[in-house]
Amino acid sequence: MSALGEFRTLRRSRVREEAPDNKAAAIFLAPWILGLLGITLGPMIASLYLAFTDYNLLQDPKWTGLDNIQRMLHDDRLGHALQVTFTYVIVSVPLQLAFALAIALLLDRGIRGLSLYRSILYLPSLLGASVAIAILWRLIFGNEGLATKFMGLFGYDGPGWIADPDTSIYTLIILHVWTFGAPMVIFLAGLRQLPRELYEAAATDGASRFRQLRSITLPLLSPIIFFNLVLGIIGSFQSFTQAFVVSNGTGGPSDSTLFFSLYLYQEGFTSFRMGYASALAWVLLLIIGAFTALNFWASKYWVFYND
Amino acid sequence: MRDKTMNLRARRGVRTAIAAALAGLVLASCGVGGEPVENPKLSKGKVTITFNWWGADPRHQASFKAIKLFEKEHPNINVKPVYADWVGYWDRLATSTASGEMPDVNQFDQLYLSSYAERGALLDLSTVQKYLDTSELDPKALEAGRVGKTPYAVPVGNTTNSILINRSLFKKYGVQLPDTARWTWAEFKKAAAELNKASKGKVYGVGPTGSDSFSLNVWARQHGNQLFNSKGEVSLKPSVLASYWKAILGWIKSGAAPSGSHIIEMDGVALDQGDMINNRTGMGFIPSGQFTSFKEGAPKIDFDMADWPSDPDTPKGSQYLKPTMYWAASSSTQHPAEAALFIDFLTNDQRVAKIFGLERGIPGNPAAAKALRATLDKPGKDLMAFSDEMSHKVGDTPPITPKGASDIDAVLKRQYQRVLTGEADPDEAAKTFVGELKDSVDAAS
Amino acid sequence: MTDALQIKSRPGTDAQPEPASPVRPKESAARRRTRSVLKHTGLIAVCLLMLYPVLWMAASSLRPKDGIFSNFGLFVDTFNLDNYPNGWDALGTPFGTYLLNSFLVVLGSVIGNLISCSMAAYAFARLRFRSRKVAFMIMLLTIMLPIHVLIIPQYVMFAQIGWINTYLPLIVPKFLATDAFFIFLMVQFIRGIPKELDEAARIDGAGHGRIFTQIMLPLMIPALATTAIFTFLWTWNDFFSQLVFVTEPDKYTVPVALRSFLDATTTSDYGAMFAMSIVSLVPVFLVFLFGQRFLLRGIATTGGK
Repeated sequence: MSALGEFRTLRRSRVREEAPDNKAAAIFLAPWILGLLGITLGPMIASLYLAFTDYNLLQDPKWTGLDNIQRMLHDDRLGHALQVTFTYVIVSVPLQLAFALAIALLLDRGIRGLSLYRSILYLPSLLGASVAIAILWRLIFGNEGLATKFMGLFGYDGPGWIADPDTSIYTLIILHVWTFGAPMVIFLAGLRQLPRELYEAAATDGASRFRQLRSITLPLLSPIIFFNLVLGIIGSFQSFTQAFVVSNGTGGPSDSTLFFSLYLYQEGFTSFRMGYASALAWVLLLIIGAFTALNFWASKYWVFYND
Repeated sequence: MRDKTMNLRARRGVRTAIAAALAGLVLASCGVGGEPVENPKLSKGKVTITFNWWGADPRHQASFKAIKLFEKEHPNINVKPVYADWVGYWDRLATSTASGEMPDVNQFDQLYLSSYAERGALLDLSTVQKYLDTSELDPKALEAGRVGKTPYAVPVGNTTNSILINRSLFKKYGVQLPDTARWTWAEFKKAAAELNKASKGKVYGVGPTGSDSFSLNVWARQHGNQLFNSKGEVSLKPSVLASYWKAILGWIKSGAAPSGSHIIEMDGVALDQGDMINNRTGMGFIPSGQFTSFKEGAPKIDFDMADWPSDPDTPKGSQYLKPTMYWAASSSTQHPAEAALFIDFLTNDQRVAKIFGLERGIPGNPAAAKALRATLDKPGKDLMAFSDEMSHKVGDTPPITPKGASDIDAVLKRQYQRVLTGEADPDEAAKTFVGELKDSVDAAS
Repeated sequence: MTDALQIKSRPGTDAQPEPASPVRPKESAARRRTRSVLKHTGLIAVCLLMLYPVLWMAASSLRPKDGIFSNFGLFVDTFNLDNYPNGWDALGTPFGTYLLNSFLVVLGSVIGNLISCSMAAYAFARLRFRSRKVAFMIMLLTIMLPIHVLIIPQYVMFAQIGWINTYLPLIVPKFLATDAFFIFLMVQFIRGIPKELDEAARIDGAGHGRIFTQIMLPLMIPALATTAIFTFLWTWNDFFSQLVFVTEPDKYTVPVALRSFLDATTTSDYGAMFAMSIVSLVPVFLVFLFGQRFLLRGIATTGGK
């Protein structure tokens, strides 16, 4: 892994530089280090250990070496879960970010009633995945739902999206995009940080607003876009509640909304195979980790920092 | 085999390392089954036990009342309530049990009973017989609380499977119902299809069904088969399951049942949101104990109940008494005697029966049931009358869901959906289901 | 009314009336007005789409139950407020208790996250120390495992120190910077702040403590506000860990209480549940509406240099 190589060279150079802030860092990072050692790391290591065991929650875990990994190789549902999760992440993350950014840009223009708009636009994220959403989604995307009837006007005569394995994932993607409040708020906060002088200078030079967007706003906002992208991906790979609520915990119909996290939850808590669930979780960690590393590597080419 | 590949000492090393990393928290030592209390006796001092259940608000209120009554009679015992919704309940129970912190008295479902009992999480109730009297309960029902030969749980109430009929709809569209006391599957299907036709497709004859293991077991018994045998193995024949799904496909085709996608959409939704209660369906398969809930949810609808249809060659006694829920105590409880005393109170006390009503099922203790009957409203009385009638028809109680099969309904639903969407034909899906279930049960034993 | 909100929400911006935003070339007044009308129309349409579920929930809380599951309209013909008092008193304790419990948990979490995450973020963004990148990577790794495989070891751990059925497992981790999301967020914001500012302070002899509290924190207000608001909302809605760690009904928080209205196998009081959902949305909405003014403050204090 090239990232590892990078760390190595980085460490060497740091050591040579005598790392001047070691002491201050120890103080500023003290809570975090305490949390890592005292709270976060223990359960993580425990789950890593359980990944190599047969553990049914109620009896002592039995060490089984690589059995869980072997089992994964023949697990059809796992393949399915991966496919569903990848589709979801690849479609919904960019879509949600684009939407959030567009609305944030629109709202940033010193508009009247800004705070009210912003609060209203955030509301869906508050409801996120409650029982109300489960009922409403069926009222909208069910066989006799609003959206289904609406599409009927244009000659669509298929079943409601929720009950069709080919389309049910769309209802979850729509739900995800619809809760764009969080990245939008972060974008807005980021936009507030941009220095106004640059825009004034650009306007004097007669740069069009599109030019301003492309050569000032987006580059300066890139650290925030990057943040939303990285965490959007980490978050959607672990998406659970939406699918759980909309599909009633099954990931159905026919596993078409079986998110990875939902699958490992079912394995761990419904089927009492927590060892296998832990192994799945670590596979997920590797996948997310790889995506994140790729993101950091690519960020060198498009993210612009002030420091 | 695999033990040989991994050096034993290395393995111990791994575990020690993990234990050290967890700063003294060794997961292995926190499993269930703390030292059993020898010769449990009632304590003279103050004792606190926890009482854990799932349900909605009316059940919470009734439980609070029962707790108060118990505490009044046993001033030195303090009962702490814990409750959650169904899903949250099992997640929390699994988590706390895994950490050796299972609540003392727990409401249980047969789906999970073996999973917990066989893994040592539940108290063997024969050790506390002195405080927990089950002699008044029907032995057939008590059987359903045993795992192997050991009594681990006391059934709260019993229910059979039944068909809920919306008589208002049949009346509204002028469709004649056959004599439901002795109807055949053909008559059932015909009436359902007629209702759909008479309403011009507005309502359906039969509601979504086909993915709950209770109904499937009754169907299997009607065909001389059963889900599990007494050894805790899967005994369901794929052909029987396939015949069940084929029958449903037939209903869909004739218009008696709604489309496959409609069934998928409505399958597993909460009772309140279903087609039956919202006046969209003429008949549905329900555990009969839910009758009063339906009545309460839609008081204007004239609901009625009937036994399943049968054909001349259908074996007698295919219906059976399924415990609606159980009481079980934790094997790690520090107060087994008090826990048993509380379960005894919940089971046998007539005042508790009156407080609970039918919400947790018809009480298993006949005296308590009798005391309750006097206080019931019409739907409650109807339910008890139906239950009396069914009690003469039921056959032996089948073995409960073995450990490793607690996810049976989820697996069943998954394969059923493949059938409904046309992704798989019933025979293939049934084979896959039985195969998956067997693997799951084998792996757990 | 919206104007008033608008003015109030930008205190101290008088010196700089428009916040940083693209400066548009001069337009005629008429064109600008048309543009503004169009923009507002579009936004109101989007808002309605966004509001629909909440309005539907509010409408459902006023309906008798048999109307809830088949009606996706917003029109209420039977204006029945009973669900509110019924829902308030339904569970073991008045609903106010659950609101108060949630507030306690949320308050602790917000304070914890603000202090611990900003400190860690400052270190990651501005200090040079050994293994910085490795530490950063580890931090990100800690949010990549699903809660469902961590909950049991966590429970074991908290049970050993006697924290089950208290709010400590929910609050203490926040004081120990376990929410890497916010650390990373603040790191990105700090890196957007010109380094010359703290370098100038260093030349003046300020230590890291002073740079952090007197220069960084005021500049980070938008990020801090974002953190506070998100921590508030996410903690307010978090169901799973609150369910697992808190077992005594009197200590239940809002999300757990809301679920105990429902049971799939019997009839449940959906109207009361919706009514209480609306009630519990009110504080959240208010916090967001008024808390977000701090999002706008950053530029006012950095500006005019």
